[in-house]
Amino acid sequence: MKNQQTLRHADFPLSPRAGVMPGKGAAFLKSFRKLCRNPLSASGVVIVAVLLILAMAAPWIATHDPLVQDLSRVLSAPSAAHWFGTDEYGRDIFSRIVYGSRVTLYIIFLVTIIVGPIGLLIGTVSGYFGGWVDSVFMRITDIFISFPSLVLALAFVAALGPGLEHAVIAIALTSWPPVARLARAETMTFRKSDYVVAAQLQGASAARILFHYIAIMCLPSLIVRLTMNMATVILTAAALGFLGLGAQPPLPEWGAMISTGRSYMLESWWLVAFPGAAIMLVSLAFNLLGDGLRDLLDPRTE
Amino acid sequence: MALLKRCLIGLLGLWLTASASANTPSDQLIIALKMSNILSLDPAAATGNDIAFVNANLYDTLIELDVADPTVIHPALATDWEVADDSMAITFTLRDDVEFHSGNPLTAADVVWSIERVLDLNLALATTWKALGFTRENVAQLVTQTGEHELEIAFPRQLDPKLVMYTLATSPSAFILDQQEVMAHEHEGDWGNRWLTTNAAGSGAFVLGQWIPQDRIVMAKNDRYWGETPVIERVVMRNLKESQTMRLMIERGDLDVAIGMSVPDIRSLENAEQLEIQTTQRGTLYYVAVSMNNDILADERVRRAIRGTINYAGINDSIMPYYGIFHQRPVKLGLPATLPEPMYSLTTEEARALMAEAGYPNGFTTTIRALNESPFINVAINLQSSLERIGINAEILSGTGNQVYGAMRDRRFDIIVGRGGGGFAPHPDSNLTPLLLNPDNSDEARLTNFQGWRTGYQNTRINELITEAVAEADSDVQNALYAEVQSIYEEDVGALFPFSQMINTVVVGGQVEGYRDDPSAMTRLRSVTKTRE
Amino acid sequence: MTRSRYLGLLRKLGVIAITLFGLLTMTFIIGRLMPIDPVLAVVGPDADSSTYEQVFREMGLDRPVWVQYQYYLQAMLSGDFGRAILTGSPVVDDILRVLPATIELATVAILVGVGLGIPLGVYAATHRGRLGDHLTRLITLFGYSTPVFWVGMVGLIVFYAWLNWAGAAGRIGFAYDGMFESYTGFYLIDTLLSGNLEAFFSALRHIALPALILGLNSVSFLGRMTRSFMLEQLSQEYIKTARVKGLSERSVIWKHAFKNIRVQLLTIVALAYGGLLEGAVLIETVFAWPGFGQYLTDSLLMGDMNAVMASVLFIGLVFVFLNLLSDVLYTLFDPRTRS
Repeated sequence: MKNQQTLRHADFPLSPRAGVMPGKGAAFLKSFRKLCRNPLSASGVVIVAVLLILAMAAPWIATHDPLVQDLSRVLSAPSAAHWFGTDEYGRDIFSRIVYGSRVTLYIIFLVTIIVGPIGLLIGTVSGYFGGWVDSVFMRITDIFISFPSLVLALAFVAALGPGLEHAVIAIALTSWPPVARLARAETMTFRKSDYVVAAQLQGASAARILFHYIAIMCLPSLIVRLTMNMATVILTAAALGFLGLGAQPPLPEWGAMISTGRSYMLESWWLVAFPGAAIMLVSLAFNLLGDGLRDLLDPRTE
Repeated sequence: MALLKRCLIGLLGLWLTASASANTPSDQLIIALKMSNILSLDPAAATGNDIAFVNANLYDTLIELDVADPTVIHPALATDWEVADDSMAITFTLRDDVEFHSGNPLTAADVVWSIERVLDLNLALATTWKALGFTRENVAQLVTQTGEHELEIAFPRQLDPKLVMYTLATSPSAFILDQQEVMAHEHEGDWGNRWLTTNAAGSGAFVLGQWIPQDRIVMAKNDRYWGETPVIERVVMRNLKESQTMRLMIERGDLDVAIGMSVPDIRSLENAEQLEIQTTQRGTLYYVAVSMNNDILADERVRRAIRGTINYAGINDSIMPYYGIFHQRPVKLGLPATLPEPMYSLTTEEARALMAEAGYPNGFTTTIRALNESPFINVAINLQSSLERIGINAEILSGTGNQVYGAMRDRRFDIIVGRGGGGFAPHPDSNLTPLLLNPDNSDEARLTNFQGWRTGYQNTRINELITEAVAEADSDVQNALYAEVQSIYEEDVGALFPFSQMINTVVVGGQVEGYRDDPSAMTRLRSVTKTRE
Repeated sequence: MTRSRYLGLLRKLGVIAITLFGLLTMTFIIGRLMPIDPVLAVVGPDADSSTYEQVFREMGLDRPVWVQYQYYLQAMLSGDFGRAILTGSPVVDDILRVLPATIELATVAILVGVGLGIPLGVYAATHRGRLGDHLTRLITLFGYSTPVFWVGMVGLIVFYAWLNWAGAAGRIGFAYDGMFESYTGFYLIDTLLSGNLEAFFSALRHIALPALILGLNSVSFLGRMTRSFMLEQLSQEYIKTARVKGLSERSVIWKHAFKNIRVQLLTIVALAYGGLLEGAVLIETVFAWPGFGQYLTDSLLMGDMNAVMASVLFIGLVFVFLNLLSDVLYTLFDPRTRS
């Protein structure tokens, strides 16, 4: 499915006027206001902001230490003392979810800073130079895209061994191709633009043109794509955690919390319900945000 | 439109009535278990308790151990046996009325061939025999046919005859195969191994009907069984990984027997009147093992600190119920040789003092490997937090059995939470040889089947005592030797700390009678009956 | 067909061949990288070293990697995928055995996706900017955002444990095992052909919940795509003309606009189907559905290299095929490319 979304972007490339270059500060503020006018996008913004605050202020927000076990109060239902109840080791679930937001952000952040530059580089180089460079890069992307991303990530984690860092690498390995394809498609439309041709005539080097002109023009659509991708990253990370291949105990990763809570699910619904809701909410927020950004940056793709 | 509506209502009605009738048929026994360990049905290659269970119903052994008192030996295919005066051989007389499922008569030749096959194939279960001194080379001289229904098993060296008898009764490699039938399916000199992976050629109370790997095993009763004919017509074993699903299904009566349910689910069934929760002690031990190849852990004081810091009571009270019971000795509970529990425990200060004495006042960083399933991972998490109290910062590396025990076999681990040590037979040696014996501690020796070698712990006196005891036929002398092994091990702070002895828990529906879980995992279903609710 | 079209086709086939070669190489790398010891999976943790070494050699693991790669390519090209450790049977047999379960599940799920997603998309497009549109957007984004395994678990509690509407694990009640003929491998069809209505309802009760949950994601995908396609059509001149001609709104939407997006939708449905195979990996784990997804995860966790490599390769092939299919459908039926 992922590749189809990319294709869709490729069919309707973004125009370079999408408000990033001139008067950055003011334009950004204006765009942000516009973004918040749509109630759905605004709620996305709010949830992401809350997530950031939770992660940064976790020690002040959490009511308990997320790792300390208290075998005398295992599996207690949500109450005033434990808002979301406790797990099978008596650890406070609310606090674990709060700290878990750090794990989630850590994964999103790492994957994005790996995938963004790599995708951008491969895509722009391939689109700008064309020819055999393009063929080679695109065949490699094709191969990666031929596998469903979860299956590929699973295979990679199985190959690398379980663990948070490995999960990040596996997810990054599976999510760069759509980004590269998008960057390539964008580059191909900009390559012939007056703006770039003028720079070429002035004798700018290929590297300069790529990084100073084309990469910047690709950014808006790339940001939309990466934001939407964050939602997928959260779900994939949770799925890996669920299968026991992601974050390892005692890290309070939400997917892993569901996975262990599963054995207690019938009596203690809170073990599974809250982390699941957290995953859903955050993933939804990134989707809403990405959707809103797309409307904003590229109204034609509706 | 109105017609459509009526149809829909009809369908819904059918749907709901279908959901009401869910009880299992009375002539079928439906068993749910995890089948991920059932890879090959070949008795020479089959590892794990689950296959022993399946094969115990498809095949027969020469002798059987009593379910309630495993030291009592019952005749099965062999009606009689006699130990030679010098205790160097046993002769067996077989029943002459046994037919394999194929119709071939069972003779002593089949028995001799079956044992030879295990050693010649040299697959997983040859290990048991090799530990006793049988080899691919000497088996033909040692195991010989002496008559149509008579054979002799001579010992390669001085051995306690009980050990051989117990092996014949409890090892999943001791099943007797139909030589003609198997050899008819031989493929490139494989002794029929490939065919037996998915087929069976035995004389057991049930005949293998359908086997879809990782999905189901269906067995039909053997009408020509030499013993009492089974009552149940059909046994259906289903692969079910989800404990919760097992629980819901057995509560509903959709299942007759549930094997391998997780503790929270078993607990929730404690008060269900129509269900019986059977717990049976198995000889296998749960342990925390440390690697002597790690310089820090090789320090006796560090080991002593760790051994005393493990929260034995907490683990056994909150994690182990239905998985195991408190036990700290390397010899299983209930044997005359087993010493009383040493009750290891240290206060945080004592343990910290030991650590400081060893030169680690601020602790150190290490790793704990554990299976990614209950109770291993839970114990690892508990151990992690206990070790933190004495300054040891341990990272948990969880994985599949392959990853965890693979690392242990390669001596690439620091601390491991594991389970092992055989213990099928009611004999101390069935624990001590796998757990403590380590004849050659060099890396090149690769004695991967010995957990002693894996941990790198070697005590020559213990090696001597174990070897001496195996050759000793006098019980009192033997028990004294085993007692000494345990005291030395305690004093020396060996690298493997047992904390619990395995319990197998099976939930049986009230409509089922006569299901007795076997301590050696050889649960036989031939006497099971079902009553109509 | 013109010469250039032939060339184009050849080029396309060349690209597919290269992709397949890449798939083979990548699966080999994954198979080799696995830290799981395939020998150990066969001999168990307590075997001694002579047994271990014997099996190690039998599996060809003592040869240099490039020789193994060469053998692997030869074997794959001759259609020999080896035997699975997990089941002891040839991997191809295994895949063929587990596939009907997954296809049955994915097919019911895609019916759910098409049945709910497309009307939802059309509705949203025709109510653009209004509350219904926003709601649809929210619903479809929810579909994208929910962890499938979690919904599966919650569904199991509510519909099996509490309400007893749905079946529990597996494809059919255990008591119906082997009580009907296997004609197609699809239980819904087999039970009907065998005339065993009770078994049919058991199968239906078992498939309903996992298929519905699996289908949610494609509801979202198809819903959003339909909306976007419809909006594009509705802004076209001919729609205005049709409206001016005084056609009813219903016929403008369904007879004109929708008719024009059918081909596009078809290609999207093919892709959504591929996505379902991916979701099946998780759903099958939750519902103990004995299909391809479970086979894949089981063999991954077991370190069953032959099975993993063949399964990953197979799913890659399916994806390549579905992509190709959607391309072909597009070029064959699209009015713009046809002219």
